[in-house]
Amino acid sequence: MKKVTYFPGCSAHGTSEEFDLTVKMVMKTLDVEMEEIPDWNCCGATSAHTMNESLAYALPLRNLVLAEKLSNDTMTIPCASCYQRLKVTKVHMDENPELAKKINTTIVEEGNYKGRVAVKSMLQYCYEDIGLDAIKAKVISPISGMKLACYYGCLLTRPKSITQFDSPEYPMSMDNIVEALGAKAMLFDFKTECCGASFSISDTDIVLQLSGKILEMAKESGAQAIVVACPLCQSNLDMRQGDIEKKYKVKYNLPVFYLTQLMAMAFGFPKEKMMFSKHIVPVDGALAHIGEVIEEPKKPAKAKKAVKAESEVE
Amino acid sequence: MITLSYKGKNTFLEAVNKKSGSDVLECYQCGKCVSTCPVSNFMDFPPREIMQMIKLELKEETQMANSTWFCLTCSACSGRCPREINIPAVMEAVRHLAIEENFHPDSKQVKNIRKFHEIFLDMIKRYGRNYELRMMAEFNIRTRNLFKDMHLAPKALLKGKIPLGVKSVKSAKAIKKMYEMAEKLEQQNK
Ligand code: SF4
Ligand code: SF4
Repeated sequence: MKKVTYFPGCSAHGTSEEFDLTVKMVMKTLDVEMEEIPDWNCCGATSAHTMNESLAYALPLRNLVLAEKLSNDTMTIPCASCYQRLKVTKVHMDENPELAKKINTTIVEEGNYKGRVAVKSMLQYCYEDIGLDAIKAKVISPISGMKLACYYGCLLTRPKSITQFDSPEYPMSMDNIVEALGAKAMLFDFKTECCGASFSISDTDIVLQLSGKILEMAKESGAQAIVVACPLCQSNLDMRQGDIEKKYKVKYNLPVFYLTQLMAMAFGFPKEKMMFSKHIVPVDGALAHIGEVIEEPKKPAKAKKAVKAESEVE
Repeated sequence: MITLSYKGKNTFLEAVNKKSGSDVLECYQCGKCVSTCPVSNFMDFPPREIMQMIKLELKEETQMANSTWFCLTCSACSGRCPREINIPAVMEAVRHLAIEENFHPDSKQVKNIRKFHEIFLDMIKRYGRNYELRMMAEFNIRTRNLFKDMHLAPKALLKGKIPLGVKSVKSAKAIKKMYEMAEKLEQQNK
């Protein structure tokens, strides 16, 4: 059995309870024991690094230091925004011990930062530490028939120097996981476009425009639903979808699943356990496709032999 | 005569370079960042122009532009910048300098963004964690826009999307102390 440190993030007790719950279900099935950081605090999100550089490092640093008190050498984080703040802090502290010392003075009681624990997003942990084969091995009711657009957002794979994971332009890790569950991952150009989450309360117009484009492209890809691995992406695309539809006079009807909800379903957990009732866009339509056979587009007929063309020329 | 290199002098360019860890002079104005940036159409000046303005020492204009407040730190631009400039870090540097000097745009949008961040940080100071419902309510009260997002409220609350309470951090004292110390560090940085 593997062991990993868990940083749930504030939304795990709020808007993304269903993410937290299904991450736990999935990890248990995959034989991973998660140990929550005792008395963790908020990572500071966008606000801290917008307003106050020292605080933007101090808040995540406290969590990094607390994580070093547990014996595990890796920590995993479901929220992409928390992940980004903790990883940025880790990378900058490891690169610049002077800075680490300085920021450490804000949390002397917690102890000194050593840089011992690796920080990975939940997606990265599933992909690198658990692996596709182990995931595939646990699938007992494949979700085949579903056509999905995997949306990574801007923080899971960018900037490359910080995340050191997958491609910043066209990542494939989540696509590969949903295919391992039996679904079809669609070609989707807006995988890493930003949804505008940091303005979700302060400037909704920006969010409607940015998230609107993502929904539009997802629909165009032929997907029946979107898959995400971040609570901010989920609430923007799901909760604001109605407003977007109204503003741009369109109809998308695209439910937004957490990756772990689909994994848990494929691992045989009943649908009722997924807290789908919390979703604003109803999920049943998309789930009804499970079991359908997806017809692959016919391969273009073989080009007629060139010989004939030559004879025509004659 | 206009001299383009302000390097080595006590200039805005130097201050931004130092804070961001990038050299803005490296920018050769290709505009790739602009075509990549999802919010460039909301900005007074898109990232490429901000770079040039910094080079030209247009400090006031750069700080008074809403651009740096609208940057989402999505890093789409820096991933593609052929000169490998950390554009969001440059945006952030300009913004932090502006906050330090208390000199920034007073448009409603920027005010709202600022207010949001202040309320958020306040909340963390009090509870150690984010209390989403209170956050939304306080933002609406303080910006005098009481009914913003109210149409979402019944759905979100009924569905349990946004919970009514928060579990705060046990060592609230440690967080308060951290805030005080961080504030001191910020003062030293000035
Ligand atoms: S992409 Fe880089 S080099 Fe090109 S204009 Fe933007 S900052 Fe300058
Ligand atoms: S990091 Fe900022 S400037 Fe760069 S693309 Fe994103 S929003 Fe635009």
